[in-house]
Amino acid sequence: MRKSLPFTFFHMHPKALLLEWQQEPNTELLHEINCFKTTVKNHLKEIHQITQGYCTLLIQWKNDLENPAEVKAKLETLFWNIDFSKGNEKLKHWTIPVCYEGEFALDLEELSSGLNLSKEEIISLHSQPTYKVFFIGFLPGFLYLEGLDSRLFFPRKKTPRLEIPKGAIAIGGKQTGIYPALSPGGWQILGNTPIPLFNPDKKNPCFAASGDTLSFDPISYEEYQLILKAKNPTKYLTKKG
Amino acid sequence: MIEIQNAGWYTTIQDLGRFGHQSLGVPVSGAMDLIAFNWANRLLNNDPNAACLEMTIKGPSLKFHQATHIAITGALMPALLNFNPVKMYEPIQINKGDILQFSTTKGGCRTYLALLGGLQTETVLGSKSQYKGLTRQHHIDKKSLIPFQEIPFPPKRAKIKKQLINYGDLKLEAFEGPEYHLLDTASKNTLKKKKFSISQNNNRMGYRLNEKIMQQLPQIWTAPTLPGIVQLTPDGTLIILMRDAQVTGGYPRILQLSDDALNLLAQKSTRDRIKFEITSLQ
Repeated sequence: MRKSLPFTFFHMHPKALLLEWQQEPNTELLHEINCFKTTVKNHLKEIHQITQGYCTLLIQWKNDLENPAEVKAKLETLFWNIDFSKGNEKLKHWTIPVCYEGEFALDLEELSSGLNLSKEEIISLHSQPTYKVFFIGFLPGFLYLEGLDSRLFFPRKKTPRLEIPKGAIAIGGKQTGIYPALSPGGWQILGNTPIPLFNPDKKNPCFAASGDTLSFDPISYEEYQLILKAKNPTKYLTKKG
Repeated sequence: MIEIQNAGWYTTIQDLGRFGHQSLGVPVSGAMDLIAFNWANRLLNNDPNAACLEMTIKGPSLKFHQATHIAITGALMPALLNFNPVKMYEPIQINKGDILQFSTTKGGCRTYLALLGGLQTETVLGSKSQYKGLTRQHHIDKKSLIPFQEIPFPPKRAKIKKQLINYGDLKLEAFEGPEYHLLDTASKNTLKKKKFSISQNNNRMGYRLNEKIMQQLPQIWTAPTLPGIVQLTPDGTLIILMRDAQVTGGYPRILQLSDDALNLLAQKSTRDRIKFEITSLQ
């Protein structure tokens, strides 16, 4: 049984409290943060926004906090009353089709020589694991994923590309991710998905949520074109849970 | 309809911003100087979230295809209505076919043009604020047509106490950020005493400063950010995040500007000087 609060409060802005966990990110911590986030959302209706990072929650109010001590005490009580052993039934697993071929695999050659692995080995190592979605940030619909095989860790490009295509699957350091829109970036590109990661016209613009899991399913160039031309490409996304 | 005859240097449509989608990586956006923005809408008795034009440094030339009323606030940006000078900070009647031409700012950086009933452009995720990848356009172009509703009666006279803000004021109120305590005494003294200047790298996403803080702090695990956070990058550069900034970041956060300071900073541009007035909220 834990006796002391695992996070600290930092009054970052008159309207915002930052909660920081002093530990390395891991899936247990993610579960704890997500449970707490849901509880806070359900119990403190006056909250304007709540966002998260690897080891942080940022809670914002519409107006200045007049009595931060009282709010902190309330949050602390909420935290101690959560049953963290309960799983979250809302979590889903997504299988994302990825083409690791030709024009999409811009840096696969460089990764192959740099990592001393064949292209096939890289594709297999990248598409086998189950990745955990930690949170969404950087760009609308950019998922921070955990679970990259350490044999695929590879430094970012010294000079970032000015344009990374929409849907690019890339590796940067110890992370892997999907570029949801055309943007500059320094990650090494090994494939592309025809599935849109972010659609502002939808009620739920991004299908994935913090805590979900995800895996990549290698597809051929022909299959890629077929999905891209489909009326609703999202139906090629397989969902479980 | 407003016809844009000349777009000016950088003109966008803004409202109060896009809320509730930051957990999907969507920036807040919204008017850079919310004080001037709110004022423009209040002069016309508009809804507080009515969309306005945000005009930067050099304003556009506009032709009105319908009658309406407008109000101009923020940085002093002289304007001619059918070749006659117009006043800022009061409602102005516009007739069909009128041409409004803005020139360059004289003190301040951003000027707001509100229109009775607000601009009626697309709403994406609850906001009309333009942002690349979300709205069809991310700024106003020449030949753009901006729809609005013709309201035949003038706005109800709003009672507003004039509150003058000196855009030349150097002082920006800032709170100690989460990593401030990791700075050594020399760095803290530099932050407190030095006058910093704004580099040419300043836009709606962020302002980079010219002077550096020569102390390296460890990177942090990527965490949520807020507009007004002052980040310290590994080469010592200070970046102040503005309203279109990314919603998460991994650079140490040494200061957080107050809302008033953020609004004031939005009226500053390349080579303007600032001085942090640091207090703690802890």
